[in-house]
Amino acid sequence: MAITRETFPLPDVSNPFLAPFFDGAAKGELLITRCRLCDVLVWYPEESCPTCSNDLEWVQVSGRATLFSWAVVRRPFLPAFEDMVPFVTALVALDEDPHVRLCSFIVDVDPEPLSIDSPVEVVFRPLQFATVPGQFVIVPMFKPAEM
Amino acid sequence: MTRSAWGHAVSLDDINGKVAIVGIGETEYTKVSGRSVTEIGAKAAERAIEDAGLQPTDIDGLAYSGAFPGFGVPEFHDHFGTSHDMWTTPWGGGMAWAGTVPYVAARAIANREASYILNVFGVAWASERAQMTGGPGEVHATQTAKQNLEVPFGWFPQPVYFATIMRRYMHEHSTSREEFGALAVTLREHANLTPGSVFHAKSLTMQQYLDAPMLADPLCLYDSCPISDGGGAFIVTSAERARDLKQAPVIVLGVGEGYSATGTNWSQQREFTKTPQIFSSPGAFAMAGLGPSDVDVLCCYDPFTVVSLMQIEDMRFCEPGEAGQLALQGHLRFDSGRLPYNTHGGLLSHAYVLGIAHCIELVKQLRGSASAQVEDCRVGVYGGYTGHMASTLVLGTDR
Repeated sequence: MAITRETFPLPDVSNPFLAPFFDGAAKGELLITRCRLCDVLVWYPEESCPTCSNDLEWVQVSGRATLFSWAVVRRPFLPAFEDMVPFVTALVALDEDPHVRLCSFIVDVDPEPLSIDSPVEVVFRPLQFATVPGQFVIVPMFKPAEM
Repeated sequence: MTRSAWGHAVSLDDINGKVAIVGIGETEYTKVSGRSVTEIGAKAAERAIEDAGLQPTDIDGLAYSGAFPGFGVPEFHDHFGTSHDMWTTPWGGGMAWAGTVPYVAARAIANREASYILNVFGVAWASERAQMTGGPGEVHATQTAKQNLEVPFGWFPQPVYFATIMRRYMHEHSTSREEFGALAVTLREHANLTPGSVFHAKSLTMQQYLDAPMLADPLCLYDSCPISDGGGAFIVTSAERARDLKQAPVIVLGVGEGYSATGTNWSQQREFTKTPQIFSSPGAFAMAGLGPSDVDVLCCYDPFTVVSLMQIEDMRFCEPGEAGQLALQGHLRFDSGRLPYNTHGGLLSHAYVLGIAHCIELVKQLRGSASAQVEDCRVGVYGGYTGHMASTLVLGTDR
């Protein structure tokens, strides 16, 4: 059961199931899986569409979203988070389909002025942890949208 | 069968009045103890068998949690020096399965596969986590989507999930921190009345709640249950046999089981501030021929304060968003005459033994032997919750 991957908690970009998400982020694109038949976004990625069992494909979305909810993490629950707290981790609801919620950091803002359902937009930043020295993965993060 | 976009109920046969709980056993509830799940299970089993006035050789069925192995048939025989044939199922133990195991047992009893079924559950997360080998977060961190799409973004473990749910809940219902605080304080008062609870000797005031450090804002220390070692067991048999035994039988009146379509991926659950108790409870009440207003005592799986509020609402004890007011107005106290709730202190203040102690508390209440005893207690309900699944168990005194 224990996680032995040395790069944990960095994402495993070699996992073929999720690699397109991180490959896209590295190119500045936010990619989500969509059913080829229903045309509905499916998140998290599945082997096939949970509604019609057809294949999924990765498609680019706008990166515009709303702040569904968030937590200001003050206690580091993993050693990797020790020098990061406090940080804001959030669920953002995509404009294309608010039922799809991405989990990420809210950056470039103090937590105090955040408000639920406010607009946010994607930025691509390197994610790195002091516990995994010398390595980083470009990931989507979100910041309050420019008015 | 109830179906909706985000979950469903399981259709169950009517077992109202068929089986009863006839013995209960508890271990010591502690922080880090060095005990193993096997030792905890054995002690709970021993005490439940004694409470029922049975012998280990009478026990011909054993239910345990497949997710928490450690006390199965081999360990039972090792401990008691027995070797008889035993029916067994991994669909028992604690969490939501503590609520559905009486149904599984009723089926086995009806099929003459067993007569006296012992359900046993132990957890040693306090000791295991101290050795970095277990704990509630591990199972989530090993799932591919969570490990790569949540954990790296700091959305981990349960206190962070439920802080996010709590914030959305507070937004939707304009819930104050005092409402969550009132629940935490009420449960602590119940634990203070209950010898053996981990927080028996430690009081909690509203001011302490409001001043407590945030783990993941808006979720503070007292919104979250501690990690404990301990366990419990109960024995299920037919209602007929139950009436010849030592203890007044506690009759199983109704069972319900419901699932969230998104499993334990809380981030994607369509109804973010609800639990699958929405799907589980109607069937259990229908089987029992009762409704929420008939319930004298309610015990729900309460790892976080917001989970209590959501389940109370999802079981229709009040409208969505009103459970915090029930807490604030004192209606959840054991002596309120309204909705006595987690009268032993719950996971939040009694012990984090994942629901088995909730069921044992209900049996005590219905026997009239609880520490914070509810007056004239005839119907008790357990609300089990594991995130992906909820269960509802309606128990009653023998009429």
